[in-house]
Parts: sequence; structure tokens; C-alpha cells
Amino acid sequence: MTAIQANQLDRALVAAPASSMAASRAPLAAVSAQRFNAWYGPNHALVDVSLDIPVRHVTALIGPSGCGKSTFLRWINRMNDLVDTARAEGVLRLNGCDLLHRRVDLVDLRRRVGMVFQKPNPFPKSIYDNVAYGPRLHGSPGRAELDETVEACLRKAGLWDEVKDRLRDSALSLSGGQQQRLCIARTLAVNPEVVLMDEPTSALDPRATTRIEELIRTLREQYTIIIVTHNMHQAMRVSDRTAFFYHGRLIEQGPTDRVFNHPDHPETRDYVAGRFG
Amino acid sequence: MSRGTTAPTPPGPADPGQTGGTPLKLRLGVVSGDLALGLLCRGAAALVLLMLVALVGLLGHAALPSLRAFGADYFTSAEWRPNELTRPLRGPDGRVVVVDGERQTETLPPRFGALPVIYGTVATSLIALVFAVPLSLGAALFLVRVAPRWRAAAPVAFLIEFLAAIPSLAYGMWGAFVLVPFLGRHVEPLVFRALGDVTWLKFLFYRDNPVTGQSIRIPLEGRDMMAGGLILAIMILPIVTAVARDVLRAVPRSQIEGSLALGATWWQSSRAMLRYGRAGLFGAVMLGLARAAGETMAVTLVVGNRVEIVPSPFASIQTMASLLANQFNDPVTEVHRSALIGVALILLVISLLFNIVARSLVVGGQSRTALSD
Amino acid sequence: MSTLHDRAKRLTSAAAYAGSIACAVVIVGVLLLVLADLVRRGAGGLSWAFFAADAQGEPAGMRHAIEGTLILVALASAVGVPTGVLAGVYLSEYSKERWLATPVRFTADVLAGVPSIVVGILGYELLVVPLTGYSAWAGAAGLAFIMIPIVARTTEEMLRLVPHSYREASIALGGTKSQTILRVVLPGASGSIVTGIILALARIAGETAPLLFTILGASMITRDPSKPFPALTHQIYVWANSPDPSRRDMAFAGMLVLIAVVFAISLGIRLTVARAQRRR
Repeated sequence: MTAIQANQLDRALVAAPASSMAASRAPLAAVSAQRFNAWYGPNHALVDVSLDIPVRHVTALIGPSGCGKSTFLRWINRMNDLVDTARAEGVLRLNGCDLLHRRVDLVDLRRRVGMVFQKPNPFPKSIYDNVAYGPRLHGSPGRAELDETVEACLRKAGLWDEVKDRLRDSALSLSGGQQQRLCIARTLAVNPEVVLMDEPTSALDPRATTRIEELIRTLREQYTIIIVTHNMHQAMRVSDRTAFFYHGRLIEQGPTDRVFNHPDHPETRDYVAGRFG
Repeated sequence: MSRGTTAPTPPGPADPGQTGGTPLKLRLGVVSGDLALGLLCRGAAALVLLMLVALVGLLGHAALPSLRAFGADYFTSAEWRPNELTRPLRGPDGRVVVVDGERQTETLPPRFGALPVIYGTVATSLIALVFAVPLSLGAALFLVRVAPRWRAAAPVAFLIEFLAAIPSLAYGMWGAFVLVPFLGRHVEPLVFRALGDVTWLKFLFYRDNPVTGQSIRIPLEGRDMMAGGLILAIMILPIVTAVARDVLRAVPRSQIEGSLALGATWWQSSRAMLRYGRAGLFGAVMLGLARAAGETMAVTLVVGNRVEIVPSPFASIQTMASLLANQFNDPVTEVHRSALIGVALILLVISLLFNIVARSLVVGGQSRTALSD
Repeated sequence: MSTLHDRAKRLTSAAAYAGSIACAVVIVGVLLLVLADLVRRGAGGLSWAFFAADAQGEPAGMRHAIEGTLILVALASAVGVPTGVLAGVYLSEYSKERWLATPVRFTADVLAGVPSIVVGILGYELLVVPLTGYSAWAGAAGLAFIMIPIVARTTEEMLRLVPHSYREASIALGGTKSQTILRVVLPGASGSIVTGIILALARIAGETAPLLFTILGASMITRDPSKPFPALTHQIYVWANSPDPSRRDMAFAGMLVLIAVVFAISLGIRLTVARAQRRR
């Protein structure tokens, strides 16, 4: 339903030249939005958002609750297709490809755009099976290949040393922070290009949060990361670029340093100074 | 990272060299697994609908001949007689007509009036409710408000749930071999000795002979309406108690705490609870009623199986379900069979109505809206 | 004045409190009495022959009926379990299709309340007369008819308890709807669905009315489902009506076996549920 509505724009299959202009200003864009609008039913959740997310950088989306940052995130892997009333217009591209197109293979899109959720949500399966879930979905990998993938991903997520002796234990036996790192490993196992993180540490204690933040810093070497966060210190610590959303509009974006220290807009200044939110 | 893609015309990048990514794949039709599972699930769901349609449609079709043949008589006649009846012809004065020294006879065609079995079902179900509902509500209050303090809730709940799962045939057998003799030997003679001489209670112990019209004693053998009602009461106790308990448990704490804070006694706050859950409790009762009305095995063994209307709880009767169990196996004629299916149809409609009402009032102790999404 | 009123109030309350206890005691007492009678009478009829011989044996037994019930339940669940589970999956996972899901949910509720004797008559009219004759096929179909709505509603309710976040995680990894259902949602609820199925099996194993007009009964072991077939409940019913006291004892013994099975299942489920809760 949503895909059809999204396509009512009848957009061209080939991208407009605008994206190359944008690309010349910023680093290569993995995800790029132009005049992107989104609705939940009558509620206009995102208004004319134009934003380029550079490849292999960490981009933080900040803003008060209900400002549309999570909505934006959930359109990048089309999770909003699960919501009956969700609808979008405008341009949203992955590597320059129109990802709102009606005929886009959502399985391929979601394999390439991984997502980590607010609350750790490992499956009630073993640690091993959690990581192996994605690879098994997309083919029938051999035993050795799977073992290798699982180990590599758990290592990348900084979890290997803690769980290598109990890969067959239930994932639910892990602590909250470990569960979240397992979810990251699970996402990495399908070899995504972009990783979306929707407030990944909001349910965790400070120590677990620090570990996740360190992990995000290392992952940026290989992945494009978009993180939604309520915590401005976290945005400063982990992100290269920051985009500030307010009331469904993108108010300001740029290098994190500049957005936090020399914001152009008064709303941004007030928000980062903690006056509201 | 790079994979070959065979999609025909991908929504490709403006300049793949610049962004360096692989173009997104296009969907090649519907995923076959999704299609297969979707079809299977929809098929199973449609089958559920079909089951009800088949049930109502087929029974309706098979019952039609008798309903058409007997019309309103089917619902108003108190006579259920699968065979022809030949009996002495009586004149207007009530005497047997004799012509040339020979007693004249008349032959009546079979007649199918469902009234006696409808009466039997209603009467036994009502007796069951009279005994079961107060007990069940009391026990439900106990389970919710008293038992937790004594750690008695879990074992009592287990016992009740286990007994709800016992086949109804077991209750029927107990009724036939324990309850019926007990009623016949001890209870009913006692009642007769106590009340048998009270004029306005004569209807309990005497009935009219259908042929001669004389008043005769009802044999107090225990195989009667009362036995059926009691067995049904015992049978529906577990289910009504369990549902009522769920309903009371779902009453918000704030309702009770508010009342207790005002200095209400245990009973006053319990009444507040019962009042708050009254729709659900009524649903529980309806559920019990539906069970009782449709119950076959337990009743068949204890009610005496006589298709007639005698307004005494100590008379043998027949319910709709027990009539079917007794006669459907070898009906006398096709019309008889059709008439029996008509009874099945009435029984079906009645219990469906009870169930629909019950379920609209109570869904697992929760309000309807909470459950539908 | 007010103290008098207060005392009356407190007395009423105490009486009601005692009344609720009395209700529970009466119910538990009556039910235990029934149970004790059934166990006492049933135990007398149990013997080696009961499990080893058929109705024609000397002494007679119920082996044929026990086997018959097992086969009937197996046949019924071969159809009833997959159909019920799939319908339950539909109700839970495809509930956005309201035009079909809402009437199906309603129908399943309503079907669960159909008197089982009526199901027997449907089996006779739909299968016995036009197609199969008295047979295990017709009996099993009747039992499946009773089973499907129960399994469908249980499955739906259990699937709804599976957290939405599991579905999201699977879909975000590129899982299709069917992969998500088969690999995450159903396994996530498998324990409680199996519990529900076992309860449904116990229920249909104890059904008599749907079999009265469909299987006819048989007095010896048969494995041919297209012939008249024995079943435990059916044999119990026949023998409970028998004038021969030894047959009646056998009927009670058969009922005891059924009750023991139901008890074992109830207790087993209770214990596993309690253990699962403690682990959590």
C-alpha cells in the first residue's frame, strides 16, 4: 500500500543531477534526501527534509521527541512500510538509487541497510543462531563459512571474548549491554553498507553505553552509521556530522563540532544548550 | 560487498562511479515463500468460515422437509411421536365408541412437536444455573480475595481447571450410578414425606395420565429433571468459576482500593467488584448456560428420556441433546430423521446465541476492546 | 445508632466472607466427591485383561477401544493441528485484512461453542451417508471439527504474546514475512502452542457425542479406518448402559484411564508452566 502511494510521484528511474551537486559539496553521500516529506495518516511528520549522509561517517540525528528523526530513520530501510498509515513523498536515495521506488526489492534494501533498535531485541535463540539468522535468511551457508561469519561479527561487535565459550547459550541470558552488542553483530552479519541506530543506548547503563559508543567509533571505518540519539553528549562523542530536527523540519546540519559550538539557528542553539527537549 | 545483479532496469545511480555503491535490486514479482504461506493461512482461515456455513447450511437443508411438513406445529405441539398411534375412538362424552359390539379405533399419524425437548433443555439448564451460579460467584470471590492470603489459590485453581477438562461422560456416569440412586432412595422420598400433603404443591408429585386423564403419582426414582439439572450444575461449576475468577481478577485495583480507603467492609468492596465486573460475570453465566444447553452425555444418562411435558422436577424428561443421542441412531422414518435434525438446528441456534452474547461480554476476563488490537 | 449500624455492616461482611469460603468448600467438596467415586469404581475394573484384550476376549478388555481412540485422535490432529495453527497464524499475523480476519475470529469463537452432538449429526449427514459409511474417517473429521477452532484461537493468542520487536528485528535484517513467521514468530511461541494443542487433544479424546453417529463402534481391534471403528468413550458409553455389572465396571475403569490421562496432562502443563515462570 505504502509503496504504491510512494510511487504515485511517478519518479524517474534514474536519479536527478541534483545529487551529484550535493555530492560535490560533502563527502560521498550514502543516503541522500531531497525535499523529503512523510506522513502518518494526516500527521505531517517530516517536511521538506534535504540531507546528505556521507559514506563511512557517523551522522547523528538529534532533536526533541516527536521531531521526526526516528521517522526519517525508519524510511531509510522502509520499516515504515509496516505502518498502514505511513506515506512519503520526495526523494530518498541509497547510493543514488531511489529507495522509495515501488519495485525496490525490500529484502535487498534491508540487507544493505541494517538497523539496531532502541531496546535490545535479540531473538529467543542461542547467541550463535542470533548472529547466523541473517546469513541463513539470505542463503544456505556452509557450516565452516557460518562459523567464520559469526566469529568475525562477534569480534567486530567486541563481544567475542565474552561469549566464545557459550555460543549455544540463550541470547536472553546476556546482560542488556551485551544483548545490544549482539544485535549489532547480528546486523553486521548480513554485511550491510549502512547501519541505522535508533537510540541504541537509551535502555542501557552508563558503562554499557560507553562500550557501545567505542564500538560505533570503530565501526565507522567500514560502515556508514546513522544514529538517532537524545543524548547530546553522546552525539558529540560519537558523530562526525550532526543534523538537528525540530517539528518535522531539518533545522541545521553540518560537522558535529560546528553544530554544537557555532550553530547558525537560534533553535539549535537553545536545544544544544539544553533549554528544551 | 559487490554482487552481480541481474535486475533488468534498476533504479540506478546518477553516476555509479561517483557514489561507488551497487545499485539496488528490483523485486522480481512476489516472494514465493510469502505467497505460499499467505495462501495456506488464508485457506485455513476460509475453512473455518466454511465449517460454520456447512454446519448451518447442511442442517438447515436436512431439516427443511420436517419444518415444512409440520410448520408451526413443530414449535407448538407437545407431542413427539415418531410412530403412528392406534387407539380406541372416544366419543364427545369421553367414552369408547362401540359399534356392533366392536370397539372402534382411530389411527393418528406421527407427530413431531419439539416443545417437550425445548422445555426439557430450558428446565434442566435453569436448575443448573440456580445451583451453580451462586456457588461459582462465591468461589470466584474466594479465589480472588481470600485464597491468595492462604496460598490456596493455585491448588484450588488447578483442581477446578482439571475438573473442567474431565470428559462430560464421566459426570454422566457418576450421575447415573451415584446421584440417581441417591436421589431416588433418600432425597426424593424425604421431600415427598415433608411436602406430599401440601395441596398447592401437588404438581410436584402428581401428573395426569395422558390417556385416561386421571391423576397418578410420579414414581420418585431419581431419574428425572432434577438429576439432570444437578449434574449440569456440577459440570458447569468449574467453567463458570474459572471465567468469573478471570473477570474479577481483571477489575482494576483502583476500584477496590478507592472503596476500601473510604472505610468499606470486605463485603461492600466485594460488591463494588461484582458490580464493576457485572457484564463479564453475566457473560460467564451465559457461557455456563450454553454449556448446559448443549451438553449431551451427562444428561442422557440421568434424565429418564421421556418426551413429554410434566411440570415437576421429579418427572422424567428429555432434552434436545439427549433426544438426539437416543433417537438419531435409528430413526423410524425419513421424516423422523428430518425432524431430529430440526431439533439439532434449534439446539445449534440456541447455543450459538448464548455463546455470541457471552463472548461479547467477556473475553478471557478482559474487555472486548482491549483484545481487538 | 451509628455503632449499631456499623455492627450490622460488619456482621454482614463477615457472613459474606464466610459464605465465599463456604462456596469454595462446597464446590471443591462436591468435585472431589465425584472424583473419588469415579476413581474408586474405576480401580475395581482395572486388570491386565483390560489393557490386553478386546471386547470379545474372555475376560473382555478395552484394548481395541484404547487403540481406536489413539488412531482417531491421530487422524483428527493430522488435519486439525495444521489447519488450526495456520488459521491462528492468519488471525494474528494477517489481522490487517480485517474483512476476512474479523469474521474468521468471530466464527472460530462461535464454533468453539457448538454442542458436540450437533457436530456428530453434521458428520453423519456430510460424510457417513454420502461418502464414507460408519468409519474412522467420519469420526476423526468430527473430532477435527471440534479441534480446529480451539487450536486456531489458542495459536492466535499465543502469537500475539510474541513481542513485536522480534518481528521488527527479523524484517530489518531483510527477512520476508514468511521467513519471519516461520523462523521467529512461531518458534517464539512454540511452547505455549504445543501446550494448547495437547489440551485440545485431551479434549477430543474425551468426546463421545461426535462419535455416536459416525464410528458405530466395534468390539475388536481394527486398523482399517474405512470400517466401523471402536473408541474408548464410545465403548464406555455402550457398556455404561449395559445390564451386565461386569461390563459397567469396565466402563468405569475406562473412564478412570481417561481421567488419569487428563490429570497427567494438566499436572504436566502446570509444572512446566511453573518452572518456566521461575526461570524467568
